[in-house]
Amino acid sequence: MLSDLIGELPQLLVNGLVAGTILALPAIGFTAIYAVLRFPNFAIASHATMGAYAGYVANVWLGLPVIPSLLAAFVVPALSGMACDEVVLKPLRRTGPLTAAIAAVALTIALENVIRFVFGNDLRGYDLPVWRDWRFDLGFAVLRVGPQQVENAAISVAVMAMVFLFLAFTRTGKMMRAVADNPMLAGIKGINADTVARLGSFMGMGLVGVGGMLLGLDTSIDPLTGFRAVLSVFAAAVVGGLGSIPGAVVGAAVVGVGEELSLLVLDASYRTAVGFLAIVVVLLVRPRGILGERAF
Amino acid sequence: MSGPLPSAPLLSARGVVAGYAVADMILKGVDLDVHPGEVVAVIGPNGAGKSTLLKAIAGILVPSAGTITLAGAPIAGHPPREIAARGIAFVPQEQNVFPTMSVRENLEMGGFISPRETPRRIEAIFARFPVLAEKRRQAARTLSGGQRQMLAMAMALMVDPKVLLLDEPSAGLSPVAAEALFDTIRAINAEGTAIAMVEQNALEALAIARRGVILVDGRNARTGDAAALAADPEVRRLFLGG
Repeated sequence: MLSDLIGELPQLLVNGLVAGTILALPAIGFTAIYAVLRFPNFAIASHATMGAYAGYVANVWLGLPVIPSLLAAFVVPALSGMACDEVVLKPLRRTGPLTAAIAAVALTIALENVIRFVFGNDLRGYDLPVWRDWRFDLGFAVLRVGPQQVENAAISVAVMAMVFLFLAFTRTGKMMRAVADNPMLAGIKGINADTVARLGSFMGMGLVGVGGMLLGLDTSIDPLTGFRAVLSVFAAAVVGGLGSIPGAVVGAAVVGVGEELSLLVLDASYRTAVGFLAIVVVLLVRPRGILGERAF
Repeated sequence: MSGPLPSAPLLSARGVVAGYAVADMILKGVDLDVHPGEVVAVIGPNGAGKSTLLKAIAGILVPSAGTITLAGAPIAGHPPREIAARGIAFVPQEQNVFPTMSVRENLEMGGFISPRETPRRIEAIFARFPVLAEKRRQAARTLSGGQRQMLAMAMALMVDPKVLLLDEPSAGLSPVAAEALFDTIRAINAEGTAIAMVEQNALEALAIARRGVILVDGRNARTGDAAALAADPEVRRLFLGG
């Protein structure tokens, strides 16, 4: 029994790390929007799905390779996120974060059904080359790693690196960090909070969209692709520290690995319970999350 | 600090009414003039509206009545970024730096409205405040209270302001750090920057100011020469602790 568990461990750890790496992108998007706008924008669920379908259209309908298709997966939800915030959520934010969060849930249901209306409920897959998994014999276990898994994780790491470089070295990135740190002071220093809000929604939802497509590349997509991931994304952001971008990366790794390791003792259908558990533990032990509210 | 005042004030507030709720106006018609090159100390008991006055001038609060002008141009109700671009730099009492950003990045944000000048001004700031140069890569949250106030002041200087608004700059500082800060304020003023300063340490504030304004319950109680106010027995008894 114990040897079986030990034998499964390397595979689950690798799967968990890959899942966490992919989960990190939507978690960064979610936490970046929270850092700038100070409300949990649950419309990430529909925007992850939107990204997955935008990438699908580019990849399958237009015949583009994966990388250019990821650009579509970024741009379409980014523009939608910015427009939805401007038209639907911004007028409601004045009444408080709870109102905006509830409106974001309603918005995500509406957008999800628009996607369902256009594409139907069928599962769809991307046009990907068929690769054999790599097999590594570790002696006590055999590790199987899919080239697509590795490519997805590499894409995610590359996008994360771009986000960090953007935030660390560009004037616009620093402007966003300043608003996340201290919105009143940012205004006093001449930074336009409305511009930063639009940029935050654009970048955040774009990352969520790319995350949605990466999730789809790993499996398949349907109108509930984003909805199924939203709890894990929210858990990753809370575990790492809401509003903290490095925290979202750490939180995603914890939730991704945690969800996979739960398979040692739980049926796969209970895997999402790990997200709930992680939120409960963090709220009880360290309510500000692993890295607190460090915006960057 | 002595000598005749230039005829026209650089910054002028007249009959300013402002507050955080419609039914509870903290300022009930306050006047304030700041002439070019002078320091004006705004003092008074807690709740008198001193900080609220600075916030109304800086655009953080929109006055419900009254006028505020800078060099004759109305600024009341304009967004903070527009007021900053016109030459008013406000240093809040608390949360006056970006805590997770480095000292250098804080200065860059301080000079946000004049990016071309930023590199040159940062070097000038580092020459003036060597301790900030030493800690240029450190996050602002790791600085001591005095260093943080110094950084907040340096951020305000990044735009070469016409008027500097300081809200309780010495609050929470040790006597040594406060004294160093007042020296810095004197030096900034000596270079020609007009300053309006709200300060709990009223005697120290009046000592470096040309004029003083005493606010009580959202209204001007006394306005006049700072030295005369500091020497007035009634003012000393009521507002300066004897």
